[in-house]
Amino acid sequence: MRRQGRLGAAIVSVGITAMLVPACGGVYPQPLTCGAENTNALILMAQAVPSATLVPCIAEFPAGWSYNGSRIRSDSAQFWLDSDRAGFRALEVELTESCDVSNAIEVTTGARVVPGVRVYEEPLSLPPTFQANRYLLFPGGCVTNLFRFTTGASATLALEAQQALSFVSRSALVEQARKETGLSLCGAEAPPCPG
Amino acid sequence: MEQRSRGPGQIGRRHRRPSGEAPPLPHELRRSGKFWIVMVVYFVSVLIGVAFFQPLGRIFDRFDTQRLRWIANLRTDSLTDVVLFVNLLASRWTIRALRWGTIAALVGFRRWRHLFVFLASILAAEIVAYQISTLLGRSRPLGITIIAPWEGYSMPSRPLVGLAASLVGIMYAIVVPGRPREMAKWVVGGLILSLLFARLYLAVDHPTDAVFGAIMGIAIPLVAFRWYTPNDVFPVTYRRGKSAHLDVGGRRGEAIRRAVQDQLGYEILQIKPVGLEGSGGSTPLRLRVAATEDEPEQYLFAKLYAKSHVRADRWYKLGRSILYGALEDETPFQSVRRFVEYEDYTLRLLYDEGLPTPKPYGVVEITPEREYMIVMEFFDGAVEIGDAEIDDAGIDEGLQIVRKMWDEGLAHRDIKPANLMVRDGKVLVIDVFFVQVRPSPWRQAVDLANMMLVLAVKSDAKRVYQHALGLFTEDDIAEAFAAARGVASPTQLRSMLKQDGRDLVGEFRALAPDRKPVSIQRWSARRVVRTAGVLLLALVALLVVVNNWTVFA
Repeated sequence: MRRQGRLGAAIVSVGITAMLVPACGGVYPQPLTCGAENTNALILMAQAVPSATLVPCIAEFPAGWSYNGSRIRSDSAQFWLDSDRAGFRALEVELTESCDVSNAIEVTTGARVVPGVRVYEEPLSLPPTFQANRYLLFPGGCVTNLFRFTTGASATLALEAQQALSFVSRSALVEQARKETGLSLCGAEAPPCPG
Repeated sequence: MEQRSRGPGQIGRRHRRPSGEAPPLPHELRRSGKFWIVMVVYFVSVLIGVAFFQPLGRIFDRFDTQRLRWIANLRTDSLTDVVLFVNLLASRWTIRALRWGTIAALVGFRRWRHLFVFLASILAAEIVAYQISTLLGRSRPLGITIIAPWEGYSMPSRPLVGLAASLVGIMYAIVVPGRPREMAKWVVGGLILSLLFARLYLAVDHPTDAVFGAIMGIAIPLVAFRWYTPNDVFPVTYRRGKSAHLDVGGRRGEAIRRAVQDQLGYEILQIKPVGLEGSGGSTPLRLRVAATEDEPEQYLFAKLYAKSHVRADRWYKLGRSILYGALEDETPFQSVRRFVEYEDYTLRLLYDEGLPTPKPYGVVEITPEREYMIVMEFFDGAVEIGDAEIDDAGIDEGLQIVRKMWDEGLAHRDIKPANLMVRDGKVLVIDVFFVQVRPSPWRQAVDLANMMLVLAVKSDAKRVYQHALGLFTEDDIAEAFAAARGVASPTQLRSMLKQDGRDLVGEFRALAPDRKPVSIQRWSARRVVRTAGVLLLALVALLVVVNNWTVFA
């Protein structure tokens, strides 16, 4: 029998091929909520940076802000928040083992202070296109908040966004993992793991 | 083999299969089929259990960690270096390179169907793996030090899904069936097992994640390729001409011998695949059968049909009904039994009407409702018309075939050089599967045009036209060439005309009276509904991809 639609097949193939370029990547939709019953996502985040004594999470969503997804891999974990005024992925939160704060200024007032966390700010551009980085350093880790607002969005939205964020302590996650599985969440604040 | 007794119901050397006796080739899952079914059932049960019953998840966590700790006892610096190297198989770049290489090869060989199945099965595997990992949200192994990079949730192991799906896809899309594919299976199995061990050694995946990932990665493309590109219908081959990879040896070969002996009363001495390059719809075979009391040793021609051929025919007809509409209005066959029954009927019909077609010998059941074979006369010594000399008598015979079919209210619908044979100067017609009773006038007209074109390639347009006037009116010929446009002619005939270089269609149109072209695009409610349905399904597929964009982003 004749083979038909070769052109169509070629077009479809090229289209699908374009999607196949990155293999195995993935952004996950589950919000990293601080008080969640299912702590798997937070535990995974803690596994990404085993030295981190704190893990960032979402305490509450201010009006107009929503969750956009997370990407968690060994060495780093990111999640994003969208804003109806500041735009798509207006805030990116990244957890790493360390970060470069050489261009940032330490802030001691005005920040929502968590004991043991040092806060640094690095303004990149002022309104009408507000962009800034905010670093939160703590033992074994660093959380970087990258504000990338759309043109015209007020810089005060950054304060709103900060209200959404909080931390869960690694020790709480270690305890949770131990209770649920009887196994140790390897890394800081846990007994050494075999291997 | 068991000696079967002959009862009073038997005719000659034929044997009626009594109730309860197995058919020649019983449908069996075989060990590999049973294995995959057991694996899939097992893992689906586990997934459901873990999703709805948390303590089960804890049991698996502890079990998995225990196994990982055992394996971690093997860790040494040098072995770790080796295993990290093996783990490169899981790298995005390795998997991309495999996929891009395969895509390039399939485009190069113009193997579009395999390409489409390859891409679709990989997409399906990636999407299913991503959705399961999101649903289960299983963290990386606890209670053991992970010593290699990872990304995302661990169940199922997405690198293993990606690698296994790519390798199995390559195996079915690129590697020739038979010994090369058997060898490839060992290589692919070895690579998957190596990566599986590496992932466990490095403690990036739990054992259950890795095993489930490998099973998913193997099962999805395997099912897709076996379903949509069965070897018998869409063989992977790099040789022109006859290929010997069809499975008519082994169990099937034995079954064919036994079935022909029992059902037709002929002892097969040899089975040989023939003319595979011209046949996508069946597996054509030449059977050498032993002499009987009435007949000498001879060749018979047989066409083996399986369920896969029915599926291929269904898709083919759907495509044609969308592309060409009501003029090709056909109902797809619902079973392979109906399929062979129809061909047997058309063969007998044409033979009874005195057309020069092969003598029918009947239908042979290989596996009930799955595999049948139609047996007919083999035109021994005949050559394809393209390789024969055609004289005036030959031209008349060719045209007479069409005239006869017109008179009997039939259309062959696949007049092309491969289906016209010449033996001792006599023109014979084969492959009557597409024959239609009371076809549309358009189809009959196309038959005439195609026959005239085939004959003209072997002579010239003017000569064929003059001969045709002896059997058809000028208006008939004008209608034929008004109808025969583009895709109305089989691909083989079109490429033959292209090679010939002469504008034979133009010459015939110049000789015949003027006639407005007959449109091959006809619209009907059915065509509109089918087209809309296909577009809707395409849209749904697109939405699935878009909604799973994060898998690829």
